[in-house]
Amino acid sequence: MYILQNAFRNILRNRGRNMLIGAIVFVIIIASVVALMINNTADGVIDDYKDRFAAEVSLVPDMQKLREQLMEESTDGSVRMTRPIIPAEQYIVFGESDYLQGSIYTAAVGVNNDDLTAVDGHLGGGTNRRGGSMGGGGSFQPTLFLMKLLGNEFDDFTDGLREIAEGRMPENENEAIVSTDLAELNELSIGDTLTFESELLDDEGEPHEIEYTITIVGTYYDATDEYAEGIQQNAFTNRRNEILTGYDTVVSAFIPDHSGIDINATYFLENPDYLEAFAEEVYGKGLDSIFDVTTDEASYNKIVGPVEGLKSISLTFMIIVLIFGGTIIALLSSIAIRERKYEIGVLRAMGMKKQQVAFGLWSEMLLITCFCLVVGIGAGMMVAQPVTDMLLEHQIEAAEASVSQTSGPMIMGMGAVPANSDAEPLENIDISLGLITILQIIGIALVLASLAGIVSISKITKYEPIKILMERN
Amino acid sequence: MSVLVLNEVSYRYEGTKKAVLKDISLSFDNGKVYTIVGKSGSGKSTLLSLIAGLDVCGTGEILYGGSDLKKLDRDNYRAKSIGVIFQSFNLLTNATAVENIVLSMHISGRKEKDKKMFAYELLEKVGIDKETADRKILKLSGGEQQRVGIARALSHNPDVIIADEPTGNLDRDTEEDVLNIFTSLAHEENKCVIIVTHSKKVTSIADEVWGMHAGRLLAVEQKAQ
Ligand SMILES: Nc1ncnc2c1ncn2[C@@H]1O[C@H](COP(=O)(O)OP(=O)(O)OP(=O)(O)O)[C@@H](O)[C@H]1O
Ligand SMILES: [Mg+2]
Repeated sequence: MYILQNAFRNILRNRGRNMLIGAIVFVIIIASVVALMINNTADGVIDDYKDRFAAEVSLVPDMQKLREQLMEESTDGSVRMTRPIIPAEQYIVFGESDYLQGSIYTAAVGVNNDDLTAVDGHLGGGTNRRGGSMGGGGSFQPTLFLMKLLGNEFDDFTDGLREIAEGRMPENENEAIVSTDLAELNELSIGDTLTFESELLDDEGEPHEIEYTITIVGTYYDATDEYAEGIQQNAFTNRRNEILTGYDTVVSAFIPDHSGIDINATYFLENPDYLEAFAEEVYGKGLDSIFDVTTDEASYNKIVGPVEGLKSISLTFMIIVLIFGGTIIALLSSIAIRERKYEIGVLRAMGMKKQQVAFGLWSEMLLITCFCLVVGIGAGMMVAQPVTDMLLEHQIEAAEASVSQTSGPMIMGMGAVPANSDAEPLENIDISLGLITILQIIGIALVLASLAGIVSISKITKYEPIKILMERN
Repeated sequence: MSVLVLNEVSYRYEGTKKAVLKDISLSFDNGKVYTIVGKSGSGKSTLLSLIAGLDVCGTGEILYGGSDLKKLDRDNYRAKSIGVIFQSFNLLTNATAVENIVLSMHISGRKEKDKKMFAYELLEKVGIDKETADRKILKLSGGEQQRVGIARALSHNPDVIIADEPTGNLDRDTEEDVLNIFTSLAHEENKCVIIVTHSKKVTSIADEVWGMHAGRLLAVEQKAQ
């Protein structure tokens, strides 16, 4: 106890030297506080995004590979590319996997109702079927559809592009909502029941009639563009003709081995690390090798990239400060010991043990460090947010520059969604000081103090009091 | 029985060839004042350093209460059994006089509840008033520092008190007071007091006087008791 008291007094007795040491420790602690706060907050952000983005798997055709394949098979060098389609059954089979925490299915089918007038009906109909509107091979002339029944396609509602005008969202099977435009055009009202026809094709291309009976439970305002960019304009592609219902409603008419109902699935992995295992599984279950099993890496990188950059900058910075600071502290304490040799000799002559002397010196360092810790954590918290904002801004600029470089010209298959279309980089991180960060900083402070302690102890053990005291005389 | 026994003690400073102490044999008893005289450089301070347990002798042995200092916990020995008044005081110069005394009491593990009070009283005995006691050693005169050194040597009530020129910086009156303290420690409290000195005045109170010459011990005078 008296050693601590003496240490405390010594700090006040040697104010000049201790203020110098304190200033260095203070700088190290502030730097560490800022770096660790950024680092740990960034870790949290990255983990969060990993869970959200890296876990979302899509099956995307590799158009480059497809083109090469077709080129090889082609006799006249001309290639007609169509987007390959995964059969609906496969989507469902792939979804039954232990690696997934869940899947979201959507379904779409072209439909007609002779009693209804479609928006832009004068432009004619269309089809999304294989071979599609391009004419296809053979003599078979496919049925053209004027409207589309979409199962579980409600993203536009969450994005604010569509909104319920009247009634409610479909909840039960065979309930649907239509656009206000379509409703006005046909004087449809809530409670009306409509019958839609469609057809599915078997392997030989033989059509098979199907039917949907739908009750209208609501109408929606539509703020989306009527036509997606670069797409042929007809009633079928006009988005006002989309009749929105549940996934189950659309697939209720599904017949195995028949095409016509497009099913799409987004799978969510239990853990982003399962990606490879899941890919192996789906290829084993018969996925065509032309498809890649990927996570949305581009979006992920665009969003998380700047944060990761920020993290590595702050860590590098901290390591440099720690190495420099540690060296200076080691040097200073070794000089301090030489300066205090006489004092140590006196204490030893008075019967103080080496360990006690060392403990005293270590306590002094520890007390200085504790003081700096309190002040440093406070100051660090104040500067952490502005420093982060500044660094992050640079990182986002760098990330955006590199994205526009790599995205270049993209081969777009029909209906291919350009990657990172709506991925916004993280523009701000709210830096906070967590318990773990505090513990890490205390750990760093203890190591610093002990570093000085070790230097002192190693010096003290070399001195015998008689030599110290006699040398002075 | 002798409290301290030196048997053929020799010593050489590390890195030097010449022995500073040569075959010194001597016994010290409780209840007596010893003085050691000799020319400058004859090895008196070195001898005291060995007795103080600051280092161990090369050949020979020093026994305290029958045990060899080489084998004893010398930190503990310095803290509790022996009180040293150094020729150059060796006080903590940045600390106050009273802090020096209190620290020494702490190190020796003295049980006094109010160590500071005890320290002030002790300093009073060697002629340091409270105002002076609260000043840093750096701001004390040579004589004052010497008296603080004496007080520190007595602060933990040791068996043996060794003093290197303890009166060199003192005026006659204070010298008288200090010598009275030494004689009463030996004769009333049965301590062993060993003093290195050039002063005739100091040798006059000694029960035994020894001389040092070039590292060897010579008998000078033995007071008939
Ligand atoms: N640390 C040291 N290293 C080497 N030699 C030393 C050391 N300290 C003292 N000496 C030498 O040892 C010899 C004895 O020194 P010591 O201090 O014991 O003499 P002393 O009798 O106390 O003299 P004084 O009366 O001047 O105090 C001297 O020759 C001195 O030069
Ligand atoms: Mg001397």
